[in-house]
Amino acid sequence: MSFAVCLLLYAAVVCVVAPRLLPPLTRRGSAPGAAVAVWLIVLTSVLASWAAAAAVLVAYVARTWIRPDPLGVRECFAVLRSAAAGQHGMGTQIGIWALTLVVGAFTITLVARVGRSLLRARASSRRHARSAQIVGRRVAGVDGLVLDAPQKMAYCLGGRPATIVITSAAIATLEPPHLDAVLAHERAHLAGRHHLLLAATRALAASLPRIRLFTRAETEVAWLLEMCADDTAARRHGTAALLAAILALAGADPIPSAALGANTVGVCARVARLTDPDTAAARVRARLVLAAVTAVVVFGPVVVWAVVHGLTPHGLTPCGPFTA
Amino acid sequence: MARGFGDLEAVVMDRLWERDGATTVREVFEDMLRDREIAYTTVMSTMDNLHRKGWLSRERDGKAYRYWPSMTREQYGAALMREALDAGGRSDRVLAHFLEQISAEDSAALRKVLRRVGSMRVGSGKGAR
Repeated sequence: MSFAVCLLLYAAVVCVVAPRLLPPLTRRGSAPGAAVAVWLIVLTSVLASWAAAAAVLVAYVARTWIRPDPLGVRECFAVLRSAAAGQHGMGTQIGIWALTLVVGAFTITLVARVGRSLLRARASSRRHARSAQIVGRRVAGVDGLVLDAPQKMAYCLGGRPATIVITSAAIATLEPPHLDAVLAHERAHLAGRHHLLLAATRALAASLPRIRLFTRAETEVAWLLEMCADDTAARRHGTAALLAAILALAGADPIPSAALGANTVGVCARVARLTDPDTAAARVRARLVLAAVTAVVVFGPVVVWAVVHGLTPHGLTPCGPFTA
Repeated sequence: MARGFGDLEAVVMDRLWERDGATTVREVFEDMLRDREIAYTTVMSTMDNLHRKGWLSRERDGKAYRYWPSMTREQYGAALMREALDAGGRSDRVLAHFLEQISAEDSAALRKVLRRVGSMRVGSGKGAR
């Protein structure tokens, strides 16, 4: 069994298991910061596995096939010898080359797509922020741009200039302490650089819409970041003010259910954890569980590596990707 | 207060939205001169930029141009709102909304929960924490 194939299998297992296992653990928002970290670690480990598998396969093929230097030739003969000895059929070789092509093409496409998606998001977010800078009014006592609009909304845009936008309708609805809570929430997003994390998870989800791990990660991370910002706002302005703000703005112009994703679940979860906060013990427990999950995910590949290496002396052919 | 170039664009648009009809660079310049030290050429290039970006329309009037906003502030505001609402579930814009727009039923459910919580709080006299 090849190391690259092990990595690909590991990534596949994570892709299947994580989107089922993680949401129940993180949804409640007991430790939102830690939960975001776990999601990011899981995503990174899958991406790193793909990249490593692609690198190993390409290196192997390059060594045995493309490069005509003495080492490569010897390597090639070794492969041929072992093929002749029946250890490795020609079919296996063709299989490895095909796998290399597929994995390499996939990796390149993914990088290109994610990159394009990130650039597009940055450009459009900048354009929006610049327009908001011009259209929005600066109002004394409001740390943000005020947009005259009938919708009750508040949002922030990362990047430079980092911008908080709040509509005149939202300001009219919110009492001053509640408005402060909303603005603190948005500032927490900007201070925590949440827009970068959102941009990354959104770009991945958009580039790999068929893989549930990435689409799930996008929504879950978005909710968890809201919870993080909620915690900061509540710490500064009190839970009651924040809840009142949510109530005031949730009564906004509801749009038809057909037009929405699953985001409402997020709002209800946010309200639930604010109204019925976890005990310190529950939070510690949540962190421990998340730490355990992280350990399994991170050390998974290490164990795979150790197992493969441990097995090689006992009869597995130490050739090409098998020892890389 | 306004330092960056973007801020200057905002100030110029502010002035033009407050005025009715078309305006020359000189008029805007004199108007701005009352509040701040500024060079005529700065105002001119700012307005030229705004024209290039589509914020201002202009028409030659003798030797000078007369400028006016291409759209009202409200129209631009509405366009931005549409963009922001649109971006809720899409990947090409990065907006973090305070609340995602929610459906009528969910809104009602949420209100019920919050009202219950509110009365619980008042009833038990626990306050914010």
